[in-house]
Amino acid sequence: MSQVVIEARGVNKVFGRTGPSPVEALRDISLSVAPGEFVSLIGPSGCGKSTLLRLIGDLVAPSSGTLQINGKEPHQARLDRDYGMVFQRATLLDWRTVGKNVELPLEVMGSDDRQARARQMLELVQLGDFEHHYPWQLSGGMQQRVAIARALSFRPSLLLMDEPFGALDEMTRELMQQEVLRIWRETETTVVFVTHSIPEAVFLSTRVFVMSPRPGRISDVIDVPLSHPRDEDTRESADYYEKITEVREALRRQERP
Amino acid sequence: MVDAAEHAWTETHSRIPRWVRSTLWFVAISGALIACWELYKVVGTGLGIVRPVRPDNVTMPHVWDMIAELFQPARRGGEMLLWILLKSSFWTLREAILGFVFGGVVGFGIGVLFERSRLAERAFMPYVVASQTVPILAIAPMVVVWGGQLAFPQWLSVAVIAAYLTFFPVAINTLRGLRSPNPTAVELMRSYAATPNEILWKLRVPAALPYIFTALKVSATASVIGAIIGELPAGFGDGLGRNLLNFSQAFAVQSPKLYGTVIVTSLVGIFFVGVISFAEHRIVGVTGRRVADAEGEAAG
Repeated sequence: MSQVVIEARGVNKVFGRTGPSPVEALRDISLSVAPGEFVSLIGPSGCGKSTLLRLIGDLVAPSSGTLQINGKEPHQARLDRDYGMVFQRATLLDWRTVGKNVELPLEVMGSDDRQARARQMLELVQLGDFEHHYPWQLSGGMQQRVAIARALSFRPSLLLMDEPFGALDEMTRELMQQEVLRIWRETETTVVFVTHSIPEAVFLSTRVFVMSPRPGRISDVIDVPLSHPRDEDTRESADYYEKITEVREALRRQERP
Repeated sequence: MVDAAEHAWTETHSRIPRWVRSTLWFVAISGALIACWELYKVVGTGLGIVRPVRPDNVTMPHVWDMIAELFQPARRGGEMLLWILLKSSFWTLREAILGFVFGGVVGFGIGVLFERSRLAERAFMPYVVASQTVPILAIAPMVVVWGGQLAFPQWLSVAVIAAYLTFFPVAINTLRGLRSPNPTAVELMRSYAATPNEILWKLRVPAALPYIFTALKVSATASVIGAIIGELPAGFGDGLGRNLLNFSQAFAVQSPKLYGTVIVTSLVGIFFVGVISFAEHRIVGVTGRRVADAEGEAAG
């Protein structure tokens, strides 16, 4: 495997380029993410953080610039099933049990041993007893855990998460953050995490990319050298607050350039 | 997760099977309607009401006369009317089912095609809609004549006419159902590098099933009507269509026969829709919310 998972050089994205009112969503994005990193994209609404995630995941194509995933075009990376994706909505299929939902990507990929693999993933997200339940019988946090199990079921090298805890209450949210960190350490997957919560970005990430809107750009990159494993004590440490302040100030600076 | 009231409701009612409950309701409501009919006759005759309908025995025969008529020979010395109607129903239902299956498959195919291609939808949808605004009475004789030229057996022409009424609701609802999944779900499938066919069968079709079954219920009754109308220009006496035509011509003298035929025809429709509902309950119910809910309760 190459030494970078994501390599972007001068990536631009303009929506409706040929139409009467083109919208410049991203301008001159350059970044590189190493294997095993946990990076967050943070910024106000309209800063293009979700668009950047979707570019990386080949759900939209860049207008110009080069973007490589594991040394390949994003399209090839998608065909090679390099991505696991988790969105703000769990998007589980109602008519499938929890176990069958986790098996869905494995079914599409024609993997053997699907049930065993699905069980293993449900154990990982601590939902081992819920294999035969239906999604609507689960709480929002549990559904999101299933979505994470599903995204990791085929061992993608890159996990893309788009505000996955945005719809959860604060307590569940903090629990889920711990869970994601634990899973990240256990699976050694590279994670790109979109959020608009400053504490969430700091708590989770090894690096935080601060973005500014109109057009979307990366304005600051902040390293978060807090030690792992991070836990409740981390949330009360001075270093943690310092980093939160640093990110907040980076976001404030955008308002008066 | 289920609140107490809902739980109690399920418990008291789950002792009686669902189909028994719906049959009891059907009988009760039929009884109430018959009572209204007869009450109108009694009160109407007493007060000399002539509007909206005269309560005399030709316009509004007694319900028991209609039913008694079913057990009389249709012609002097001939077979019992009910027997004739049952044979006709069987014949008509066979044409209707054939048309229903054919129309259902075509409708589903159109839904899939339109979902795949907005261009096809834009190009062909006006014709699909137009096909349904032309009265079936105008289409039916053409189909019969063309079928005759192609040496189709007449029942096949009738089935084509039934299919003509069937495909439209299925096409429209299939399209709507196939487009019902959340865009995120489609993106998720794309992220697994799923092919369009895999997205169709693993995501879109299961999501569309409730819509499709709704359409099938509409189509089940429409296919019976299509078969009956189709039998008229086809001009054979084996189905319900010819019976309805004959008895409506004799309405002024023998109205109970027409009413009896109408009753049997409605029962055919109810039977057909009942079969579809049963299939829906088995297929959508097992994987969907309702049955899963019941299972969850039984387990918990």
